[in-house]
Amino acid sequence: MSTPADRLAELLQFGPRKGRGGGGFAQSPPGRGGAKLPGGLIGFIIGALILLWLVFSSYYTVQPEGRAVVKRLGAVIAITDPGLHFKLPFGIDTVEFVATERVLKQEFGFRTLATEGERSEYSSQDFPEESLMLSGDLNIIDVEWVVQYRISDPMKYLYGMRDPTRTLRDISESVMRRVVGNRIGSEVLTTARVEIANLARDEVQEAMSKYDVGIHVVTVQLQDVIPPKAVQPAFNEVNEARQERERMINEATKRLNQEIPKASGEANRLIAEAEGYATERVNQALGETARFRSILAEYRSAPAVTRARMYIETINKILPNIGNVMVVKDGKTAPLPYFEMRRPHAPAMETPQ
Amino acid sequence: MKSTLAMIIGVLVAIGLVQSTYVIDQAEQAILVQFGEPVGELVNTPGLHWKVPFIQDVRRFDKRILSWDGDITQIPTLGREFVLVDTTARWRIVDPLKFLRSVRDEAGARTRLDDLIDSVARDIISGTNLEEIIRSKDWSVDVKALGDEGVSLEQVDLNKPKKGRAVLETEMLAAASKLMPELGIELVDVRLKRINYIESVGRQVETRMISERQSIAERFRSEGQGKSSEILGEMERELRQIRSEAERKAAEIRGKADGEATKIYGETYGADPEFFTFLRTLESYQAMGANTTLVLDADSEFFRYLDSTRAR
Repeated sequence: MSTPADRLAELLQFGPRKGRGGGGFAQSPPGRGGAKLPGGLIGFIIGALILLWLVFSSYYTVQPEGRAVVKRLGAVIAITDPGLHFKLPFGIDTVEFVATERVLKQEFGFRTLATEGERSEYSSQDFPEESLMLSGDLNIIDVEWVVQYRISDPMKYLYGMRDPTRTLRDISESVMRRVVGNRIGSEVLTTARVEIANLARDEVQEAMSKYDVGIHVVTVQLQDVIPPKAVQPAFNEVNEARQERERMINEATKRLNQEIPKASGEANRLIAEAEGYATERVNQALGETARFRSILAEYRSAPAVTRARMYIETINKILPNIGNVMVVKDGKTAPLPYFEMRRPHAPAMETPQ
Repeated sequence: MKSTLAMIIGVLVAIGLVQSTYVIDQAEQAILVQFGEPVGELVNTPGLHWKVPFIQDVRRFDKRILSWDGDITQIPTLGREFVLVDTTARWRIVDPLKFLRSVRDEAGARTRLDDLIDSVARDIISGTNLEEIIRSKDWSVDVKALGDEGVSLEQVDLNKPKKGRAVLETEMLAAASKLMPELGIELVDVRLKRINYIESVGRQVETRMISERQSIAERFRSEGQGKSSEILGEMERELRQIRSEAERKAAEIRGKADGEATKIYGETYGADPEFFTFLRTLESYQAMGANTTLVLDADSEFFRYLDSTRAR
């Protein structure tokens, strides 16, 4: 029916015992022709499969990010660098790949689901059993963190410990709880983050070095460090109260800043006014005395005349404005006779204006 | 027929070959067992090894460090608080022969470790205060450095622990290790992985944390009020100082000016006090107005001549 099947039948007829040959292994599965010579066909198939196995099990490729540990019958014989390599086939040599160049990470208290696209997606699920711990003042605190590490020695990583990753997780949790437990909760929440991360890194590294498993801890990073959910409103209240405190202080300071300069200004005005008064007063005195001195000088040249003149001038000046003038004569018998110079003006006395 | 016989022989040889060799992995060590009884030396080198076919069995043991994780157990501390404790440990098979005889395999070892480490953890946790378990030897809390975020410090005692977590872990390791040599096991370390309150205690602690926060919030608020009053009081003081100083200075300046003026007047007018009085009196007469009654002596200067002209 099909051309390949016909060709296969032809081939089998001409070389029935050449099943081990490698030429035809890429052919299609045998068709009806197989019924004729079953032994030869089975041999051929087995031969083809063995050849395939031989080809595919005698090389391997190490990716640039890692290295490979080659074992011959269970014993490690080589550690190879990235590239194409050959090995003994049929499972005599086996290869284990270890990503030595990549920075791996373990997450505690949260999980990244995917990092495709521009932002990472995080699992909405919490892992409270991983992240809840006690601080030194016996409060509960929720700490999420990441441990980044690199496999520095593939040999030790594979043969120093079974499942080193799990141990890394266990140790990280233990160390983080020790470090956090050695601090006051509010410190953990605020100022001590960096210190805690550094200390945790060092201690995890110390433990890993003690086990000698070829893990290099690159960094420990704290993520969300928060009080437990039920307590969060109370923490917010503290923040609000702190804001309120600042606000009250600021308001008082504002008033202070308003009032003091104003008062200083007023004080300066008061002083300036006083100084003005002083100048005025002194000038007045100087002016008046200067005038007095001038008049005095004139007066001294002719005292009697000047005196009389001044007196009469003054009387002249004031008489038109004066309400009543009484003239009294001495030496007369009492009651003293007098005349009123301006009788019609007399009633004006009763209604002072 | 011949080929069939060859094939059978071939298969038998293959089976014999498979039965008389075994491969030990880099991570393994092995003991040969003959009718259930260990024979020969410990096989410690990875690679291909020979054995007597059919009658010898290979028991393989991991050479690497293995991890053990305990169940979460509820233990009361010395202070009667119930806590959930999760321990973890690392161990390795150091004497496969003893290991094989005492616990047979890893599963057997795990159950033994479960019992042992659990009971050790129980002993140590229940004899220790919670602070001791949580804090470490290098505990140092500078109360002053905590600043205004600090706890309501009278509520929690912040003493340095006598032993601390690391020491307790060491004690646990020592206690648990005592029985290990018999099992052919070496405990590498025992660690407290997680310690948390049981739920009901956790809720109480949360309530305590809430009240603690609230008291801090209250303190902030009254601090705000206090500071504000302080600033305003200081302002009042300063205002009064500024004002009174200004008034004092003004009075001084005015007084000095008055004094100077008086001095000027005195010096000048002192030259002829009589004339000054005369002049000044005349000037003050000029201020007299319509509602003044002037009484003049008929003998006065003003009338003297008026009088003399009158016929008597």
